[in-house]
Order: sequence, then structure tokens, then C-alpha cells
Amino acid sequence: MLTAIAFIFCLFLGRFFYIQVIWEDELHYLALDQWTREIPVVAGRGKIFDAGGELLAGNRTTYSVFARANAVDDAENSSRVLSSALGLSYEEVYEKLTDKKRSEITVVRRAEKSVVEKIAGADLNGVYYARDNTRVYPYGELACQILGFTSFDQSGSTGVEQFYNSYLAGENGEILYETDLIGIDLEGATAAYLPATDGLNVRLTLDYRIQAYAEEVMARALEANNAKSAQCIVLDPSDFSVLAMVNLPSYDLNDIPRDDLKTLNELSRNRLVCDIYEPGSTFKIITSAATLEEYYKGNPAALSPEHVFPSSRTRSVDGTTIKCWSDHKNGKHSNQTLAEALNNSCNPCFVDMALSLGKDTFYDYLSAFRFGRATGLDFSGEAIGMLLPQTTVRDCDLARIGFGQTIAVSPLQLACGAASAVNGGYYYSPRIVSEIFSDDGSVREKTDKILLGRTVSERTSQALSSMLEGVVTEGSGKHAYIEGYRVAGKTGTAQKYENGQIAQGKYVASFLGYFPADKPQYLALVIVDEPQGAYYGSTVAAPCAKEIFEGIIKVRQIAPFTEGL
Amino acid sequence: MKTLTNKARAKGGAGDLFFLFAVLGLAAYGVVCVYSASSYNAEVQYGDALYFVKKQIVGFVLGAGAFVGMGFLPYAKLQKCGLPALLISLLLLALVFIPGVGKSNYGATRWIGFGAFTIQPSEIAKYGFVMFTAGYFAKNPARMRTFRGILPVLGAGLSICVLIMLEPNMSVTMCVGAVMIGMIFLAGVNFKSLAAICLPALALVPVLILAEPYRLQRLSAFVNPWASPKEEGYQLIQSLYALGNGNFFGVGLFRSRQKYRFLPFSESDFILSVIAEETGFLGVLILFSVIAFVVYRGFRIAFSCDNFFGYMLVSGIVLSFAVQSALNALVVSGSIPPTGLPLPLISAGNTSLVVTMAGMGIVYGVSRHNERRKFIRYNK
Repeated sequence: MLTAIAFIFCLFLGRFFYIQVIWEDELHYLALDQWTREIPVVAGRGKIFDAGGELLAGNRTTYSVFARANAVDDAENSSRVLSSALGLSYEEVYEKLTDKKRSEITVVRRAEKSVVEKIAGADLNGVYYARDNTRVYPYGELACQILGFTSFDQSGSTGVEQFYNSYLAGENGEILYETDLIGIDLEGATAAYLPATDGLNVRLTLDYRIQAYAEEVMARALEANNAKSAQCIVLDPSDFSVLAMVNLPSYDLNDIPRDDLKTLNELSRNRLVCDIYEPGSTFKIITSAATLEEYYKGNPAALSPEHVFPSSRTRSVDGTTIKCWSDHKNGKHSNQTLAEALNNSCNPCFVDMALSLGKDTFYDYLSAFRFGRATGLDFSGEAIGMLLPQTTVRDCDLARIGFGQTIAVSPLQLACGAASAVNGGYYYSPRIVSEIFSDDGSVREKTDKILLGRTVSERTSQALSSMLEGVVTEGSGKHAYIEGYRVAGKTGTAQKYENGQIAQGKYVASFLGYFPADKPQYLALVIVDEPQGAYYGSTVAAPCAKEIFEGIIKVRQIAPFTEGL
Repeated sequence: MKTLTNKARAKGGAGDLFFLFAVLGLAAYGVVCVYSASSYNAEVQYGDALYFVKKQIVGFVLGAGAFVGMGFLPYAKLQKCGLPALLISLLLLALVFIPGVGKSNYGATRWIGFGAFTIQPSEIAKYGFVMFTAGYFAKNPARMRTFRGILPVLGAGLSICVLIMLEPNMSVTMCVGAVMIGMIFLAGVNFKSLAAICLPALALVPVLILAEPYRLQRLSAFVNPWASPKEEGYQLIQSLYALGNGNFFGVGLFRSRQKYRFLPFSESDFILSVIAEETGFLGVLILFSVIAFVVYRGFRIAFSCDNFFGYMLVSGIVLSFAVQSALNALVVSGSIPPTGLPLPLISAGNTSLVVTMAGMGIVYGVSRHNERRKFIRYNK
């Protein structure tokens, strides 16, 4: 009998031992979860500054008010206090405070500190507060597509807010309350406080003064030309840091049209990076660069800068006829050299250049200038452009690519490509953010300039740049001329296609300019989409670039490089 | 002095005092545990933290009275009460099914009530059966040698089982069944007859499980409680959490975390979970050492009894206590599917407490009788 009792006794005590001493860890871990209720402590989101330390995105301390219906003891009084303090309807609050089916319910978010202090003074059981912060953008619309916005729970949705979210977000903390099964706080239990780690700050390469100036100029252009949209990117060609990015129309970051997703998507997209277009004549910079480089390298197929192009208005390739935009009458566009071809933006000359290089060589340059692949900008959703595959490209296609058709690029790609063609042939990785730093000022991460590759030689670059300076002094870009600042550039006027057909009366007027020509520091690509009336890049876009350059000269107090002639 | 002691012994003897203190100690410990396990729940549900413990103290006092009463009642008189006890048990069990008298809770009708006063007939029927069986075999010990002789015991046992099962209450049914088989075994029935009873009883278990869908669900929940953590598996998971939280030394008396309404029936059927959480494995070890001690002393009293009725009566009572304690521990530790069964002497529930203590009082009475017999023999 004793044996039997002892046996059974040992059997189930063994089971208890197993559960209580061996399995204990796992069970305890699982159980912990049900013993506490968490109130989040939102980390302070990192701030965003411009290159000079101007605050572009900050926070205002606000609070979320939560309630746990099961822990509310006087729902009527609490509802009265809350509804009057928060400006909500009594019925709505009362319903929330008595909704015992939900363990925790948010009464209100983003309540001002003063309001919450008033509520906290009333000491209502079952009502809790947690800092939640509201994002504030001191400049409203300024650089709105670059900065981007955050979702309702403070997670970056677009722009820098999204791309650098992991740095900006920080880590939320928690206040853990020990509760019973249905969420009533245990008496005498202490709340555990796990502090939040605030996010890190981000410094942009952007100069808010240049940005503001460019936005002003482009807004005027948008209105004056009754255009569909207007964009502008300002880049420092010496290291490819972005100084300004303008996309108009824009929106106010402090009043985001969240209810209208379609509009929001349109307005918040950074078209300079995420959209592509057929660049037209501004692309001739690339063709010229390739031709010069090959010629200097001694490629016999490449045309020399002194080569005199046939004066005919048309070229016939693969049985198709390519015409110049000009009628070539009365001696226009006759006996041009490369420099003159650029001045006149004469299409047939660039057809000749592309065809003489041949598709293999020309595609090598397209690849070196990173068309058809991402530039690597620290921004989400970069478009890689559209490039016919090298294997299927025909001569008639190649001929058109020579003057910027049958190829689609993002404005960013074109700006970077041109920058590398004129800065000595260095292609850097473009960037918007210069460094990540904490509130105490210590730098956590720095984005140094990274050389991605060489495009052309210094010699080619210099030769090309002086030709492009000529375009501004005596060619189609003269509306961008600023005395003493050696502005160089190239105009572009592209016809838009819709459903594979040329859309009548729809143009993209653009100008890619920079200064000073001998050592480029500021490069701007201005695009005016569907201007009404005048539509030439030379008359619509070039003046904008000039104004922006003037603005830069003013805010950066740049002295003239040469005496006026 | 010596004569006085002798006189006292002649009157009845002190009996097995170890047994007495162990039983009263367990019941008193039960009151403390009920307080710890129920105070929060009682406060929330009834606005009185002492709601359950007050009832338990009443039960303890009544139980102590019953213990003393039965302890000093010459137990031989109970021999004639066997049949009436059985009939009363059956009557009470039947009353459960009369609407207005029977009280339902958690989908089972297990109580009969008069106002605030409720009793659980199955707790009484257990002992009614034991008394009947002991009396029946004692009247004519030759009965147990034939299968026909055992039939009335089987009939009584089965009718009680059927009535309890209809409540339904699977675990008490199993408990009565086990006690029935145990008593027949202890009576010295030959193995052939025993096998003839045991095998069909075992075969009946799966049938009974399949008959009620909720039992199958509980069975699957028992295999993997985390498959349905909010429904069938909930009770078991919560019990395991309590056990796990207890670790080896426990979190300390009154400091259970699971009693904050996470663990249902924390003051009754699952009080052992709270005890395991508060006092750890060590506490469970000690508690069950005491329970095993009570069982051991109980059987010792049974075996040293000079008459067959006393032997059978005590064996049945102790067996029922042992089986129920073991089943409860197995349920709480997730070793068998969860069923509603209190831990005798400890769990909240007055019927169980009073009846168990009364039964223990009978055992104590027999121990007193045993001592007197020795004393008489010694004086001869």
C-alpha cells in the first residue's frame, strides 16, 4: 500500500517539478505578456535641418489620451471632464469610457500639453496619457517633396522622413502597468517605465535660402506660362550634393491633404527623382561629351570638334527622315562646327555624331553616364529611366538618342550626367543628407562624397564647358547670361508624346545651366512642363535659371569671376 | 494519575493524533489559501474581499464539528445506516434535476439550493456509497466471493455514477467509479470478478467522452492548450502559467499574480495552481507530503481495525480522499484533461469541506476504537 501511494505521489510530483522548475522559463515569459498593459512613450522624432542649420522639420509636444473602460470608476464625471477639456461631445467620450469590450481605447490624439495638464489635475481613474508629439514644418510648403511627411503614428511615409526613418524615429518606450485580467490596475503595483530613445537629427545638403529662391522663381514661371508643372534641381557639380529641389505645384506639410490620396500622391511625388521624361536638346551635352572624348582618345570614327557638318536640314536613316527644328533657310545652320551646332542646337549634327560613334561606343557612354540605372541618391523610388536595349537598338533610334529623343531619363540623372561632363569628368553619388547627428551635436554618420566613376577626361570636360559657355554668350541660351559669372548651359525643347503619338502643342521647355564655366559650382536644371504660348527652352526656362543663379549669387554673396566685357 | 489516563483511554482513547492534526491542519491551511486565492476576485465581484473566506470559515467550523461528532460517535452504529445513506444520496442527486431546486453554473447542474444555502449532492453521494458498500459487505462477507453478491454494490455505484454524469460531472463520476472498484478490490473480491468489472468500465470512458462534444474539445485542448488559448485551452494555460511563475520556492504567500482573475476557479478547483504559484514546487511537495501522510495513516487505521465494517468504511473514505487529491493534482498540472473537481479539505466549497471532514472524523473515530481495543487487550 505504501509503495503504491509513494509511486503515484512521485509520479505527479515529477510532473509538477517539470512544469515548475524546468518549463518555468518559457511559461513565465508567456505569462508576462498578460500581466501588464502598456502605454507607449513616443520617442521624440529627430529633427531635419538644412545645410546651414535652419530647422525644416521639428516637433511640438502633444499627448494622446487613452482610457481603459474596465478601470474607469466614474464614467459620467470622467466623460464630463474629458469632453469639456478636449472639446469632444460628452456622448462620444462616454461611449468610449464604457466600452468594456475593448481593453484600451484612444480618446484623443495630439492634445496640447496645457489641455492634458488640466485633465491630469482631475486625477481620473482609468484615463492615461502618453506623449505622442506632432510633427511641425516651420516653412510649410518649402521642399515639401524632399522632406516628405509622416503617417499618423509618426512613421515616415515619403521623402527624407521615410528614407531616414530608421534614424529619425528613435525607439519608443513604454509605461507598463500591472493589471488584472480585464485591465484594472493592481493596487500598490508600481508602473515600470522604459524610457524612449529619441531619434537622431538629419542635416540636409539643401540650402533653404536657395530652395526658397528657386521655389519663388519657379512659381512665377508656372503662373506666367500657365504650365502644368515646373521643376528645378540645383546641384553642386563638385560633389553632387543637392542644393535645392523644386516641384510645383506643391502642398503644405502642416496641412496635408490626407483625405484625397490621388491629389496627395501627385503633389508629394518628387518628380525630379521619381519621374522620367524625354530630355530633348539638353541631352546633346552628353552626345558632345562622348564625341569629344572619343576624338581625343584617337578614335578615327569620332568626329573632330573642327569637323564641318553638312548644312542639309534632313538626315535619312534606315529609310526614315530626321529633320532639324529649324528650316535652315537663309544660311541658318550652315557649315557648323560642334560649338556652332551646340549654339544652334542643330539636330542633324548630333545625328551624325551618334551614328559616327556607332551604337557600341555610344552605349558605353550612356552606361558611364549612368543612364538606365539609379544614381544612388538617398531617396526612395528613384526612376532608372528608359533606354532601348543595346541589342535591339537600330540606327534610326541611335540617331534620335543623339539629340535626346527615344530615351527617357529622370531630371536627376540628366543633371548628374551633365555635371560629370563639365566638372572634369567625375561622377559622384548624389546626396540629399550630409550627416546624422544627435541632440548633443555629436555626428553619428556622415555622407562623404563618393566617386562612382569617370565619364570623360579633364580635357574633354574643359573643351565641352567652353562650348556650353558659348551657348549662353552667343547661342540659344543667352537668356541665362549673367555678366561676370561665366554661365554655361544648354537649352531643350522637347515635344511630348501621348500614347505613342506626338501630342500637338505640348512641350517640355528646359534649360540646364551652371556657373562658373571653368570650375562649376552651381548647376541647375529647370523644367517647365506644358507651357502655354511660348514654349522654347531658351525663352521659358533659361530666364528662370538666370534668376535662380542671381539668387544664389545674392545669398552666397559670390563676387564676379571675370570683369565685364 | 495512571488510573485517570487509563480511565480516559477506557472511554475511547486519544486516537491517531497525528492524523487528527494533519487533517485539521490541511483544512486550516485551506482557509488561508482560499483567502489568498479569492480575495481579489471577491472584492471585484461581491465588493467584499472576505466573501469566500467567510464561507470557508463557516465550513471549517461546521466541518470541525462534524469531525468531532463523527469521531466520538461509535462508528458501528453507521453499519445500519448504509441503505438509508444510499437512498438519501440518490434522492439528493435526483433533486438536482428538479427545476427550481437544482442550480446551474457553467453549463452544469450540480447544486441544489435553498436561498443562499447550496449543497453539492455528489459530494455527499460519494460517502453515501462508501457507507452502503461497507455495510453491505460487512453484513455478510461471503457475498463478495460471488459475482452475484457484488451486484448490489455495482448497482448502487452505477446508479450514482449515472446520476452524477447527467449533471454532468465527469470527474466526480470517475472518482466514484474508482472508489467503487477500489473498495471491491479491498474487500478481497477475486481477480476474475474484478476484471469483469474493470474492463467494461475502462471501455466506457471513450464512449462517455465521445458522447459529449465538450469533453472532446477539452481533450484536444489538453493535448495542445495553445491551439485554442482563448477557449478550451484557456484554463489549462492559466494554470500552467501559475505553476511556472511559482518556480521552486514560489512568489510568496498572497503574492500570486494569476489570481487577479487570470485563473478561473482559482479559489475552488484550481486552488492548487495558486498554491503552487505562491509556495512553489517546495510548497506543493510539502502539501502533498501531508496529504500522502493522511492517506498513509488512514490506510494504517483501516488495516489495524478489527472488524470488517470499520476496515471497509475507512478504506473507502481514505480512498476517495486519495483519488480526489490525485485527480485534482493531475488536472492542475495538465496531466489529464481538465475536469471540475475540488482539492479535498483545501478548495473553497462547503459541502465538500464539511463532508470530507465528517468522513475524516469517522476515520479518527475508528482510530480511537483501535486504541481502546489494544488497551483492553493489554489490560487482560
